[in-house]
Amino acid sequence: MKKRWLPLVTAILAIAMLLTPLAKLEVHSQIAPEIASQFPATISLGSVMLRGAGALPVNAVPALAVADFGQWMLAAGVAVLLASAAVSLIRKRGMLLLGLAGSALAAGLLGSFAIQAANVSNSLLFTLLMETQVWIYLPVVLAAAQIIILLVAVIKEKDCVDLSDKTWRLAGGVLAIVAALCLLLPSHVVSVPETITASPADAAVINRSLTLLDEALGREANLQTIGTEKAVFADVLTGDLAALEPFSADATNIKGIFVIKTVTTAPNMLLLAGAVLLVLALILAFIPRVDRWFAVCCQVLALVLVAASVLGVMSIGDGDMFASATRQLNKLGLGTITFAPMLMALITLASAACGVMSILTANEPYFVNPIPEKQRLRVVAIALTAVSIGLMLAPGVTFSFTKPGMNKVQSTVSLSGAQAMIFSTPEDMLSPKSTQGKALYSEKASKNGNLTDAGVADIMSGLTGIYGIASWVSVAVAAAGLVMIILRKNKKATIALLLSAAVLRGLTWLIVTLQMPKVMGSAGGTFFLFGSIPTLIFAAFFAWFADHEELPKKYKLFLMMLPFLVAVFLFSYLPLYGWSYAFFNYQFGKPMSEQEFVGLKWFTELITNAGHRDNIVRVMKNTFGMSGLNLITSWMPMAFAIFLNEIGNARFKKFVQIFTTLPNFISWALVFSFAMAMFAMDTGIYSKFMLGIGAIDQPVAWLNSGEHIWLKMWGWSTWKGLGWGAIMYLAAISGIDQELYEAAQVDGAGRWAKIRYITLPGLLPTFFVLLMLSISNILNNGMDQYLAFQNSMNKNTIEVLDLYVYNITIASGGTTLYSFATAIGILKTVVSVTLLFSANFVSKKLRGESIM
Amino acid sequence: MKTAKNNKPHDTNRPRHLKLSKGDIAFNIVNYTVFLLLTLACLFPFYYLFINTISSNELVRLGRIQLIPKEIHLENYVQVFKISGIMDALFVSVARTVLGTLWTVAGCAFLGYLVTKQEMWLRKVWYRLIIVTMYFSAGLIPWYMNLRNLGFLDNFWVYVIPGLVSPYNVILVKTFIEGLPPSLEESATLDGAGYTRVFTSVILPLITPILATLCIFSAVGQWNSFTDTMMLMPSGKNYTLQFLLYKYQREAQSLAALVRNTQDTNALANVATKQTSLSVQMTVAMVVTFPILCVYPFFQRFFVKGIMIGAVKG
Repeated sequence: MKKRWLPLVTAILAIAMLLTPLAKLEVHSQIAPEIASQFPATISLGSVMLRGAGALPVNAVPALAVADFGQWMLAAGVAVLLASAAVSLIRKRGMLLLGLAGSALAAGLLGSFAIQAANVSNSLLFTLLMETQVWIYLPVVLAAAQIIILLVAVIKEKDCVDLSDKTWRLAGGVLAIVAALCLLLPSHVVSVPETITASPADAAVINRSLTLLDEALGREANLQTIGTEKAVFADVLTGDLAALEPFSADATNIKGIFVIKTVTTAPNMLLLAGAVLLVLALILAFIPRVDRWFAVCCQVLALVLVAASVLGVMSIGDGDMFASATRQLNKLGLGTITFAPMLMALITLASAACGVMSILTANEPYFVNPIPEKQRLRVVAIALTAVSIGLMLAPGVTFSFTKPGMNKVQSTVSLSGAQAMIFSTPEDMLSPKSTQGKALYSEKASKNGNLTDAGVADIMSGLTGIYGIASWVSVAVAAAGLVMIILRKNKKATIALLLSAAVLRGLTWLIVTLQMPKVMGSAGGTFFLFGSIPTLIFAAFFAWFADHEELPKKYKLFLMMLPFLVAVFLFSYLPLYGWSYAFFNYQFGKPMSEQEFVGLKWFTELITNAGHRDNIVRVMKNTFGMSGLNLITSWMPMAFAIFLNEIGNARFKKFVQIFTTLPNFISWALVFSFAMAMFAMDTGIYSKFMLGIGAIDQPVAWLNSGEHIWLKMWGWSTWKGLGWGAIMYLAAISGIDQELYEAAQVDGAGRWAKIRYITLPGLLPTFFVLLMLSISNILNNGMDQYLAFQNSMNKNTIEVLDLYVYNITIASGGTTLYSFATAIGILKTVVSVTLLFSANFVSKKLRGESIM
Repeated sequence: MKTAKNNKPHDTNRPRHLKLSKGDIAFNIVNYTVFLLLTLACLFPFYYLFINTISSNELVRLGRIQLIPKEIHLENYVQVFKISGIMDALFVSVARTVLGTLWTVAGCAFLGYLVTKQEMWLRKVWYRLIIVTMYFSAGLIPWYMNLRNLGFLDNFWVYVIPGLVSPYNVILVKTFIEGLPPSLEESATLDGAGYTRVFTSVILPLITPILATLCIFSAVGQWNSFTDTMMLMPSGKNYTLQFLLYKYQREAQSLAALVRNTQDTNALANVATKQTSLSVQMTVAMVVTFPILCVYPFFQRFFVKGIMIGAVKG
């Protein structure tokens, strides 16, 4: 690439962006005029870079001192960005790659800072004090641009990829160090204080902030919500968690703190393991005569662990813990949690991935895998068995206490396999530590009448016993299998042992779940519990081939396919389990075993219940009406294509084609924006035009009326889909044999004759297939369009089946009709599949071709 | 349209040296006019929205901006980025588009390659199990409850992870790979390359045209979807731009108030640049449209190619 100065330009621009007042934090003056006068309105990031949070007027507003601005992050980002640009100027092999890595790091650092700044200024304590400008993201964008430029350069200049083996190993190793370092940097997520007590200094700051809030509340009437939350702070500062109780009904409120308190160890351990593995990978990468695959495996494993940790941290509970924890801590004024650790983890992932790539690229032939080829599959089997035994000893069963009607885990206790094996019941399980858990626990135990605290404790100890014994047995069985693989004993017996250990594991979980007293909550399996089952099955699989040099191809391919099959199962087949809701009186949040079975009640109700029946009839009318209009006019794209093909001017043709397809690529929400602008009652061009020509004498509410809604919807869907639908026909036209036209020309056929006798017959098969498909999709007219256009005036005539189902369930917030909606869904699928097969049958009969 | 050069699209116009008949001239005039009008009808809403966002908001409120922009200003665009949540939504939209597209295209490409391997154990069974999911759906509630049970509610990854396997894309890739000469793969296998190696070094470079098509479709789909946010993000996390647009259309009034709060007093005094609910809603719509308008002309040919491959199959 000749333009090596380009990255430098972006880097300098990014830095300039940082130093100009454009990229700034704005401190508002909404608190009190006398305070406002004490600090400047804007602070450039340049000064933040030099002085950190000290650049903010902390003397005037002590709350700002809590803002933990990573000045080192900014400074490092700037330095790395500049260095990477400079490095990529050097015309030497590998320098571009180095520059690329640098700008990636810089983007991470700058982005981390930007998000942190935005985060801090969005927090409750600071919203009144400061705001982040959009421009703060610009340096990140520029760094990203630099990455793209360098990437293009690397791809174009392939010589830099042609490095010696040693260099690649070095790069892999260095990346491993970077990744490991990132992991060891302070990560706030996992170091949240166990109890919420503020230090005296913090408390002073928070008190000061509360005073400021007080003042603000006095002035601003619309800050009511902050008022209620402020009351919570005051209580929490005294250390009384129970004060949060009344707020727990609020879906977004309390979860963060509780979750952090209970599950910090697992992500921590995963991260630590990841770091250790990365260091190991580094060492392995440098030892000659060791196969590079070991280093790669280490890094891959580290990748998986770190990813698991990141995902775990991000999605604990039924949501994104990170966001809620951030919000919580910020609200409490302890807000040091930032996105930094997550970005660190992401950088770790990226550098570990690059490390894998670079070590993989090092392919000098003289490195030998110390494991003889014949033993490799055996080693895999042994490793898998060992891992599964480890998993059995890790925390296995999770007990959750759930509050009725809340669907939110309040307190979770994990019982590790190892713990159960020495028959000790964790203290938390018998009496939960957290105030809230305790309250729930005794409430539930007493409600049940015959179950006292002691009674529940007995049951729990019993469960521990069952779990412990079963754990012993399954570990012993698996260990026996392990010994047999190592000693190369009877293959079939080995496999039988491994598989029976897996079955035992499954049974254990089942028994514990069934025995769990319902009053208390539920026992759930964790990754560790279920993890050991597939590992055992895979161990058995590899044990079967332990004597082979490599897996037979057919199974190798199957193993590659397996992740995809799992995904298909999870997202396409598992939902079918939900069809069972249609036969129950499904109540939200209860396990299936407690639901009331009602048989075909919901299906018969479709007909017998007058209210439901009327609605269904109305909705079906709309569905058929609008699908029908589209069906009747489904010849239009074909006509469009035929006549477009008659256009002689190729440029005009292309112009038409490009711009008539455009509407297909915008969302229905956007289409509705167009409609809102053009058909607005007083201001839209439609009203103005119609008034102008005298077609109407006063503005009409075009969007807010139910009149002719089918036609209007048909109009919009035609506007959006006509040009797009024609493409397929245009493709078909270009497939028609040109000689036919030439022959017709010779015979003196005119334009119409050629269309009538050549083009049209050539297109009919395509038309037929599309018609058949749209007939089978008559019930699936989607909901995006109707949802966007729906309002209270036209709801009766616009509601199609899909929209109706959504409206009565998720949209309404009620869950009483879930079963009914599922029943509708089942019928819909059955009808659709039947229609599809009939269409296919018709197609086969008429044309001898299948459409599926 | 760029079809194969040796098979020129049929052109029924008479050769130029022949005089056009009166009927032909009349036909051409009508035909060109109709298509011109159709194209304008497709473009006009974009134009209309655009001039309404850059003209004086007061004139827009009075309905005086219909064809020509007046008193042009860019204040709407500056202000709209100050609305809290817009930047986050932009980030989420970009992230889901990039990650979701990479994930689904990578998945479908590799899966499409795997299912062409005849020697796989029970290949046909697995292939059919995947393809058949195109024809049935469990319905809204089971789908929703399933994602909920899997912990995907309020979780950003719900935009990305479930998209791994898309049967239609798998079919497209599979058909495309089957059209490649098998000798390439065979020679690579003889050289000792494993399946992944063959895929990355032989197959992947050859199937880039179809992958480009899949990328475009998937990216547009990701960028445009808003109903999934609506259903799967009940506590207001991970909102996307499209969903914000939808939301703003519903909550027009409160929105204008929100914007006015973030504006300083000077801007408030100036009626021409004062934000109204309509102006904000339209500006957000334009912001959402720009990326599509920007990439659309470059990728238009991929759409055509993609649907043609689909048509051959269909």
